[in-house]
Amino acid sequence: MKRRFIFYGKKLLSFTASIFILSVLVFCIARLAPGDPLASYYGTRVEKMSVEEREKAMERLGLNEPLAMQYGKWLGHAVQGDFGISYKYKQDVMEVIGARVGNTLLLGGLGFVCLFVLALLLGFFCAYCADCFADRVICMLGTAVSVIPEFWLSLLLIFIFSVSLRLLPSSGAYTLGEGGGFSDRLLHLILPLCAVILGHLWYYAYLVRNRLLEEMRADYVLLVRAKGLDRRAVLLGHCLKNVLPTYLGIMAISVPHVLGGTYIVETVFSYPGIGTLVYESARYKDYNLLMVLALLSGIVVIFSSRIGQAVGERFDPRVTAAGTGRESMQGWGG
Amino acid sequence: MNGRQKKKPWAAAVLLALIVAGCVCCEFFMTKDPAFMDLADSERAPGGEFLFGTDALGRDLFSMIWYGGRISLLIGCVSTLLSTAIGVVLGALCGFAPGWLDLALMRFVEIFLSVPTLLLIVFLQAAAGEQNAFTIAVVIGATGWCGIAKVVRTEVQRLRSSEFVIASRCMGGGFFHILRRHLLPNLLASILFMVIMNIRNAIAAESTLSFLGLGLPLEIVSWGSMLSLAQSAMFTGAWWIVLIPGAFLVATLLCITKIGSYVQDVLTRKERNV
Repeated sequence: MKRRFIFYGKKLLSFTASIFILSVLVFCIARLAPGDPLASYYGTRVEKMSVEEREKAMERLGLNEPLAMQYGKWLGHAVQGDFGISYKYKQDVMEVIGARVGNTLLLGGLGFVCLFVLALLLGFFCAYCADCFADRVICMLGTAVSVIPEFWLSLLLIFIFSVSLRLLPSSGAYTLGEGGGFSDRLLHLILPLCAVILGHLWYYAYLVRNRLLEEMRADYVLLVRAKGLDRRAVLLGHCLKNVLPTYLGIMAISVPHVLGGTYIVETVFSYPGIGTLVYESARYKDYNLLMVLALLSGIVVIFSSRIGQAVGERFDPRVTAAGTGRESMQGWGG
Repeated sequence: MNGRQKKKPWAAAVLLALIVAGCVCCEFFMTKDPAFMDLADSERAPGGEFLFGTDALGRDLFSMIWYGGRISLLIGCVSTLLSTAIGVVLGALCGFAPGWLDLALMRFVEIFLSVPTLLLIVFLQAAAGEQNAFTIAVVIGATGWCGIAKVVRTEVQRLRSSEFVIASRCMGGGFFHILRRHLLPNLLASILFMVIMNIRNAIAAESTLSFLGLGLPLEIVSWGSMLSLAQSAMFTGAWWIVLIPGAFLVATLLCITKIGSYVQDVLTRKERNV
């Protein structure tokens, strides 16, 4: 009991340390980058301000103190749950994010679950009839779709389904002015969801397919085949069980990638979520908002990588921390 | 991975060669100046004078495709060179370093990875000053080395206790000497696939960034900056502005992927047979 307590305590400590370093890093990066935070607070009025007015405004926002002081103040407030106001929205940062985080969670969460299930099914199907006609067609199509950048995929979907066929809405999370009923929201969700899923589907499906096929070459498969089990039974009853832990671990690590993809898809569809906020706040130096968003993304990334490791170690003692990772994919997380 | 030997990706190689050759020698067959804007000719449909039509600013898409492809491909190559160099050196450092330093460096990589890429890129962009093809390439390269570093680290840890490395160290070989003469030849097989994929990712990253307005400005023609006009063009029915640059982009990415996975296939096969 005590050892377990220490174990989790250590994990928590290293997690907090990572978050702390991350916050220092993001703080410095954001403040040191050239750009005018006053522009995001005062809008175009900033151009007409005199030097003294600027000084006053900087002082009021606490922007002319030394960097360390600023960080200390920010940290002091943040620990008490006060993350300051967004310069652009003139609202508490948490309120700005709170109003939008639901949309992103809906899109990203739903996308992630669909992705998880669909990739498993598709990978299994391809492994089941490996090298048959359907498998080859799916492999070809899948590779082609998986290289399409998310933004172009989204554009393509908008072009086909909303501009040409006029079937689905092309932007937003609900029709403006109608409040957004369930079916309305669902209709607006379909295209972004498709973009999120299609952008990642084949990478995971192919992974499942290859792992299953590799597993089929193991000695124990030869034994159960000799006992008379057919291909499907072997795949379902034996191989899948051995592949699943790796798959779970990799899916956990991939949370930030899916999240990063969601951000891009959101911007193309003007979907009111976190993605559009990240993009805006980074461009216009909305410091307080940026800090919280960066920390949130960071927490998600670190947390999911820890979970991925833990899952791997829990289910498969052969896996050590270094062995799992999506080395071949770009780091678009967050 | 499958039982049968993968066929050589001839079609992909030929197509890629055609695109690259077209982009490199674009001067010889460009019909118009790619930077010439003429609002009187904006959003003309393909055909006749403008083979691929014109964009919203009245530039000739056919010339822009080849001319812009040059920049896109260049960005892909330059940023891959940079990310590979950073990845190999850092990964090898990690692999050689004592346990605590290795742990610290790996933690650094983890934290580096958790800074949102968008934020990092905006910062680096701002720090670089003006935005041009070179700064974009450096920014993409500087953010894309983590995968290679991880693999190199694992490989170096495996290799560092082998006899030839120890012998070289005993004879006074420095870090970079060992890296270049003894480790790189052994590493090449395991990172070649990732290097090829990095080219692909860098080209895709450039187009995404330019599309979002964080990459190249409109005046610098690349596939990405051409596509940044796509969203508005779509609603005026100018499909060619969306589809043609995108098709070239995706075709290039697909060819690189095909070649990359073939290379990986050959290398893993070799490894198994040994």
